[in-house]
Amino acid sequence: MQASQKISRPLVIVIALGTLAVLLFNLLPLSVFISLGQRLPVFATVFLGIFIEAVPYLLLGTLASGLVEVFLDRKWMTRFMPRGNLTSALAGAVLGLAFPVCECGVIPLTRRLFQKGLPIPAGVAFLLAAPVFNPIVIFSTASAFGWGEMLGWRLAVTLGIAVVTGLVFSVEKDAGNILKPLMPVVHVHLHEEESVQSFAEKIRRAFLVSVDEFFEMGRYLVIGAMLAAGMQTFIPQGTLLAIGNGPLLSVLVMLALAFILSICSTVDAFVALGFVGSFSFGAVLSFLTFGPMVDIKSLLMYRQVFRNRAVGYLVLLPLLMSLLAGLTFNYLFP
Amino acid sequence: MPTRLYRLYQGLTLIALCLFLAGKVISGKLTWYINLRFLPLTLLGIVLLAIMAQVVFRKPRSTDAHDHDHDHNHAQTPPGNLAILLIPVIIGVLFPARPLDSTAIDSKGVNVSAPLIGENAATRELEVTADQRNILDWIRIFNYEEDLSPYLGQTAKVTGFIYRTDDLPEGQFLVSRFVISCCAADGFAIGIPVQWDGADALEENAWVQVEGPVDAAELDGLKVPLILADKVESIREPEQPYLFP
Repeated sequence: MQASQKISRPLVIVIALGTLAVLLFNLLPLSVFISLGQRLPVFATVFLGIFIEAVPYLLLGTLASGLVEVFLDRKWMTRFMPRGNLTSALAGAVLGLAFPVCECGVIPLTRRLFQKGLPIPAGVAFLLAAPVFNPIVIFSTASAFGWGEMLGWRLAVTLGIAVVTGLVFSVEKDAGNILKPLMPVVHVHLHEEESVQSFAEKIRRAFLVSVDEFFEMGRYLVIGAMLAAGMQTFIPQGTLLAIGNGPLLSVLVMLALAFILSICSTVDAFVALGFVGSFSFGAVLSFLTFGPMVDIKSLLMYRQVFRNRAVGYLVLLPLLMSLLAGLTFNYLFP
Repeated sequence: MPTRLYRLYQGLTLIALCLFLAGKVISGKLTWYINLRFLPLTLLGIVLLAIMAQVVFRKPRSTDAHDHDHDHNHAQTPPGNLAILLIPVIIGVLFPARPLDSTAIDSKGVNVSAPLIGENAATRELEVTADQRNILDWIRIFNYEEDLSPYLGQTAKVTGFIYRTDDLPEGQFLVSRFVISCCAADGFAIGIPVQWDGADALEENAWVQVEGPVDAAELDGLKVPLILADKVESIREPEQPYLFP
């Protein structure tokens, strides 16, 4: 049974795709394929653009995770992390200032911190807030918008969403209930007598952990970047921007764009700047708060790390609260 | 999959990625994909990939050699999934590298007024002479300057590729460039209308250098520059096809 399943699944997919391709060839006019073919180089360029831009950040994130695995002691975590739900969520949210990672790197790092005993509210708040609450992103937002309202509200709204979501998750006490069963990431088992290792050996082990994690998460970066590039290339962006009027629709369009574009949080402020003229403050703000928390590639990575129910909350709560924030600003300061 | 083979596979993939990125940097094509600003980050990525490959390839020490014989490598990502990391390299090899051009405009749209960079952008434009301004500089001026009179009649000299939209009057085309703030994903085209007698004979997507006095015009209700070209020369595609704000 096991064996047959393993063989047949790719085969079924190939047959299904083949049938679909034949059907499409017969049903659609040739011109459709010509225009699609012309756009393939655009697709390749956009895809490689997202990938090349994001890979160093993912490498840094997995390296941070590897270093945490090797050097951070569980005892440290229990001693220094606050116990209360609210304080723990707040502490988690600003923990990003110590770990400058963006939304690709933060996911493996959060999982590692959970393994090291980080309380759930803190971990969830860290996951959502760290891509904004870190020195690089604060600086890039400031250089795009200045040290003004946009930066302040971006930080404030992100903090609010992260802490509230962290508190929602605080009803769950056991990290095992929100995380997918963990595979021990590195199979270099540590035996008691080996725990005294040279520094170089520890670094080597940290790198091995990060290699495995890079391969685990990197595939979602690739697939996410392909989806994002595909949507951008084959769905004209103009149609989306054209419907983006009105206090509600403008926010929804910006949220959709944040999700589709899947731009790294370290640079999204420069992209958001391009929308300032045609979109309201609230809409752009929602772009800047939601994008770092949820986009195509991070959604795929969430699914690898968290159980489905947890993924649902991690997407829905930030979505609704970003929408609410955007709407509030649109109605209060039109 | 035996550990050693698995590690070999990982190591080769890391090297392939490392060489792929290094190749893009060396050939100067990196900026077809991302903003030049991120070059240091890419270099860091290349170094990290090289170190990781080295760590993976290094012969395991006797201390962890013992587990190379049992087959419980739950840490392994399925081999088929490992290959996904090679997709960028494969796509990079299969599709000849090409910067965004007028085909991309069809999905990304073109802008005649780019509300791009905030406050202090306009003041910077005064420091460069008229013939050094690029398309983005001119569009910024028309966006942010209250009083356009000092600029009207100045001679513009800009390069870009030719793009036509339906709402342009006859005898006009847009001289366009893509603007990339971070990577090709956020790239969008900007363009300045050019009035030229031979406009209709020009081939779409061809690169040109346009020279002529600047006038103000209105397009879709927006105030935009209009170049009344004296000269339109066809040129080779520049090595750096994008503008970086």
